[in-house]
Amino acid sequence: MYPENDGDMSAKIRRLIETIDVANVLTDPLTRAIEDLLRVTAADIDSDEASVLVRDGDEGDLRFLSAIGKVAEQLVDVKVPAGKGIAGFVLSSGQPIAVSNVVEDSTFYAEIDRATGYSTEMILATPLRHDGATIGVLEYINRRGDPPFTPFTPDEMDRAARFADAIASLVYAYESAKLLSDLGDKIVEDKERYDIDGIRSWLAEFRGGAEHREMMDLAVMVREIAGRGEAQRQMCREMLEAVMRYTDSQTEGSFLGAE
Amino acid sequence: MTPLEHIQQQGDLSRAGFFRFEDDWRLATGRGVSVAIIDSGIDVFHPDLAGKVMSSVEARVDNKKVIFDPSDDGDSAGHGTACAGIIASIAPDAELHSIKVLGAGGLGDGMAFMAGLEWAIKQKYRVVNLSLGTTKPQFFAPLHDLLDRAYQAGCIVVAAANNLPQPSFPSVFSSSLISVIKSEQTDPLNFGFHYGEVIELTAPGVNVRTPWPGGGYRNLTGNSFACPHIVGVVALLLEKHSNLTPFHVKSALHSIAMENQLG
Repeated sequence: MYPENDGDMSAKIRRLIETIDVANVLTDPLTRAIEDLLRVTAADIDSDEASVLVRDGDEGDLRFLSAIGKVAEQLVDVKVPAGKGIAGFVLSSGQPIAVSNVVEDSTFYAEIDRATGYSTEMILATPLRHDGATIGVLEYINRRGDPPFTPFTPDEMDRAARFADAIASLVYAYESAKLLSDLGDKIVEDKERYDIDGIRSWLAEFRGGAEHREMMDLAVMVREIAGRGEAQRQMCREMLEAVMRYTDSQTEGSFLGAE
Repeated sequence: MTPLEHIQQQGDLSRAGFFRFEDDWRLATGRGVSVAIIDSGIDVFHPDLAGKVMSSVEARVDNKKVIFDPSDDGDSAGHGTACAGIIASIAPDAELHSIKVLGAGGLGDGMAFMAGLEWAIKQKYRVVNLSLGTTKPQFFAPLHDLLDRAYQAGCIVVAAANNLPQPSFPSVFSSSLISVIKSEQTDPLNFGFHYGEVIELTAPGVNVRTPWPGGGYRNLTGNSFACPHIVGVVALLLEKHSNLTPFHVKSALHSIAMENQLG
């Protein structure tokens, strides 16, 4: 059980739980935002099928994080081994690539198509980059309508690279939030190491506390504002920063030394 | 005079014979020129590549160091086979060497292609096709050193440039390698020069029909397919002028590109 007498440890655990709960609140809308962006950008390049793959581990494996289109649900969480297929190459090379006639492919996409029943004929794949690192791959598959399709153009590849920048920021935010929320789940699942019933009742008490509820309300409010547009996000950020500056000035006291 | 006007004037001079590269390379086939392809491996059984791939090695990690073993695993992604096919279509007698660094377990991306490049320099291959890159700052300095070593060893590294919002290296190290982006041009010998940015040459890279593992073909678009076009041309130049240094090769490519652009 928790070392309730140890105030320092208890405070640390409280902060961890708070962070995990905020992360949980944030992941769902982020997933929806990624899907919305996939839908809007896919329409721009005349496609209905798009997906986001993210790094899975440190050795170049990929995993479908999000997808739209006919077989979207079957794709999510499917893993792509390192170096396999066009996505694996794009992750390693950082180079956008467009491929046509994939349908004859005997390699990775044929396996995915066999599993989903879909027919991949064309792919436009571009890297998702955040802060100097390639964190995943954005793919658009086929055109709208029936084949034969006109190949993706260099201009569409340039547009996809710009879409990838916007999507990469969301994917990074999602992955960070998910990491924390997974950590929370893992602690609760690890029944042998922890007194789970004890932790649950402690958690229920903690989460039921007025202060925690207020903080969660605040997180939800910030999330709502963030969803209303860039101007609203900017205003919210400035107001919160002003509040922090004000409270800092209240607690830090004078710039002058003690007399 | 702006730098661009200066270059354009040089182009005019090249037409007048001030610096003009002999045209005999256009009849060459790349015979006797070794070309390394650092990529996803090569399908050596593809009809377009049969008998052209002289060696295939694959990276593995042993005690935090990269070891290259002979490989018969072919191509895990298709990209290496496509690049090899483009090079062979321009320089059919070039000796191709596959250095597989993608799809090999246990390697981070940056470490994989750095080791591949070091291997190529050690084997004294004359031309290197490098379609891989990284944006990770920790690789900036070691990669710079490695490319300087290649330059001093006379190894000509041709890299696919990256025209994404965040440029990656090594394609930005324009002093020690040749960087290439795609154009809609279809004649491989009619490549272009692109002054004013780190990207130096433009070559066919839009809807290029290339061999693909398993014996088939794909139509591919990307800078990484423009890169092997220039590699093929460099193999032709080196067959006719085997003592060219990387500096000479760059000058020759610039001269030819200017002639191409000026018609």
